[in-house]
Amino acid sequence: MKIPSTLLASACFVLTAQAAIAADNACVGKVPSINVIAQGMPSVTELDKYVAEFNKKWGTTVKINLLGENERRAKARLDASTGAGAYQVIYVDEANVAEYASAGWLYPLADVLPAEYDLKDFRVDLSNVATYDGTQYYAPLVGGGDILMYRKDVLEKHGLKPPTSLDDLVAGIKAVNDPSAKLYGWSARGQRGSGMNVWRWTPFFRGLGGEWLADGKPAFNSAAGVKATELYVDLMKYAPPGVGTFNWSDSVEAFRGGQVAYLIESDVFGPWMEDPEKSTVRGKVGYAPPPEPLGSAGWAHGFAVSKVGAKDDCTKLVAGDFVGWATSKEMEAHRLADGIASDIGRQSTLKSDAFHKAVPSEYIDALLATGPRTQLLIMASPVWPEIGDNLGLSLEEIFTGSKTDVQATLDEAAFAAEDSLQHAKK
Amino acid sequence: MRKQRFVFWSLAPAFAILAILAAVSIAGALYFSVMDRSLRYADYSFVGLYNYQRLLGDRRFLNALRISAIWELVTVCGALIVSILLATFIFERVKSAATRNLICLAFIAPVLLPRVAAAFIWRFLYSPSLGLINYLLGLAGIGPVEFLADPSLALLAVAAVDIWQWGLFFTVIVLKLLETLPKDPIEAALLDKAKTWEVHAYVTLPMLRAPIISLALVKAVESLRSFDLIFVMTGGGPGTATETLDLYAYQAGINLGGRISYASAMSILLLLITTIAFTIVWRGIRKWAN
Repeated sequence: MKIPSTLLASACFVLTAQAAIAADNACVGKVPSINVIAQGMPSVTELDKYVAEFNKKWGTTVKINLLGENERRAKARLDASTGAGAYQVIYVDEANVAEYASAGWLYPLADVLPAEYDLKDFRVDLSNVATYDGTQYYAPLVGGGDILMYRKDVLEKHGLKPPTSLDDLVAGIKAVNDPSAKLYGWSARGQRGSGMNVWRWTPFFRGLGGEWLADGKPAFNSAAGVKATELYVDLMKYAPPGVGTFNWSDSVEAFRGGQVAYLIESDVFGPWMEDPEKSTVRGKVGYAPPPEPLGSAGWAHGFAVSKVGAKDDCTKLVAGDFVGWATSKEMEAHRLADGIASDIGRQSTLKSDAFHKAVPSEYIDALLATGPRTQLLIMASPVWPEIGDNLGLSLEEIFTGSKTDVQATLDEAAFAAEDSLQHAKK
Repeated sequence: MRKQRFVFWSLAPAFAILAILAAVSIAGALYFSVMDRSLRYADYSFVGLYNYQRLLGDRRFLNALRISAIWELVTVCGALIVSILLATFIFERVKSAATRNLICLAFIAPVLLPRVAAAFIWRFLYSPSLGLINYLLGLAGIGPVEFLADPSLALLAVAAVDIWQWGLFFTVIVLKLLETLPKDPIEAALLDKAKTWEVHAYVTLPMLRAPIISLALVKAVESLRSFDLIFVMTGGGPGTATETLDLYAYQAGINLGGRISYASAMSILLLLITTIAFTIVWRGIRKWAN
């Protein structure tokens, strides 16, 4: 008797699925805890509300440890590199995916994410940032590119249009700056760090034609690097006092507090400006792509499963399911319902009615217009955190006036970067 | 003899544990300081004194050394001067025991505040656009002053917070010490028509020399551990204006650099320098006290 091939295939599928379910069930109650190292983004803190349902599903206890950005990176590196493996789920971002992936500390996302969580639904721009050497390593929770935010009322008062070129922007910043009225033309990140001042300076550097490397050697001390730095310093004269050490929070709060007319920042901060409780400029903010030729710095934060912390099959399975659950469509819907419109990692959520209701249409238009220009602008190298940190220190010295010779200061940072790159080749 | 043996055996376990803890961590740091261990790579090899040689030519390390020395000097002297001046002022002007106790309670509060919390509070107070201090300066037509963004002010601004915490706490200690002094020498000086400042400069404070030296040493050791305060308030910036040795070691070894061997060499040098400096200072103080 000949068994039809479709019947055979169906039987195999059912058996495989049953075997998978049986394997899943076998892990219930076998993993007492899942330790997660993370950063306190709204999408992460929101998990606290719903984590009980995940704990119940697997008979486990998820412990989410929140740290600041640099501390989180340092602790995750320490945990993986020493083989301690205290964390099963690691929060990864654009600055350290190359380092962690090349060191073999992460499972490829496709190997750990259950099929039900639809890997292909993650935003393409964020998935690209989460990819190293052709493999995606983490599930994005939040990310995007840059956006120009401007005060519509201030520009209208001065008869200005939203800038489409860098020259227009510079002219506008200088025209509206009025410190006596506590209104400044501009604000930006000055505090050192690869994710701080370097992050915001990079679109200027790359937009003005700068490249990180030339013939395998650091080249950010080129004419473009000097020009970008001088322009950044010049614009800081039209910023609130203390801007030389501003972090992103200082900068965003200065804009949200009504002190700043133009701000280029990560697009996730757009919805922050419309927060009825915290924003004094709600309804007065216009959104546009960053003026040409400035680039849009792509970034993405998300969860990955640690190879060091999740060695056995059950831990890997539960940690992978946590990553899928925490970044799922359902969780994003919960966030939107709770008023968090900034952290969107999935295409389906961007297209949802709930998202369209939560943010101004002008913001969505700007997001869509900026999307094609968004790319990873930082150096994709495992030693980037070290190079970026050193460069950030040099930039902060220039921004705060400790150093005045821009060329010499960048030369010094490039010299240090050469050593880091050499170290990476070992 | 029996008593001595009892004291020895009572203290021995605690000292043994402390010695093992110290020896293990120092031996570990020494070992890593002659390797090229980086947190980014699993393999590493022996490099001899390379890390030490590199440190001596590292401008950031030399700057951190200078900043650490200034920090020690400013915070130790500042806390002592503030405490002595305030304590003598209260001793002379506040006669009610209840009021003195209330003042003491208020003065102890800052040191009970976690350093990180104190750092955040003061970071906000110092803010050029939103801070209370700049608001008050603005009323007087001054500012805005960029306390934490100005390289020439940042270290002093952070040191002021440290002095606020420890100087007020030491004030309470010095005040209580003043209250315990015998009255006769003070009354004798007053009979000799000594002025108030002369009574304290020549009678009371010399009598308190030994406890004040102890306070100075305690503060000197405590000031070496101000990582959390500086880290939260400035992160070592602007530039390297507030970057002390422990902060630089953290940045290089644990934070973004990941060069654990380089940071270990730095820690060993810090240990050597502080041991030598404290020995010299201790001997000098002993000579002066005698």
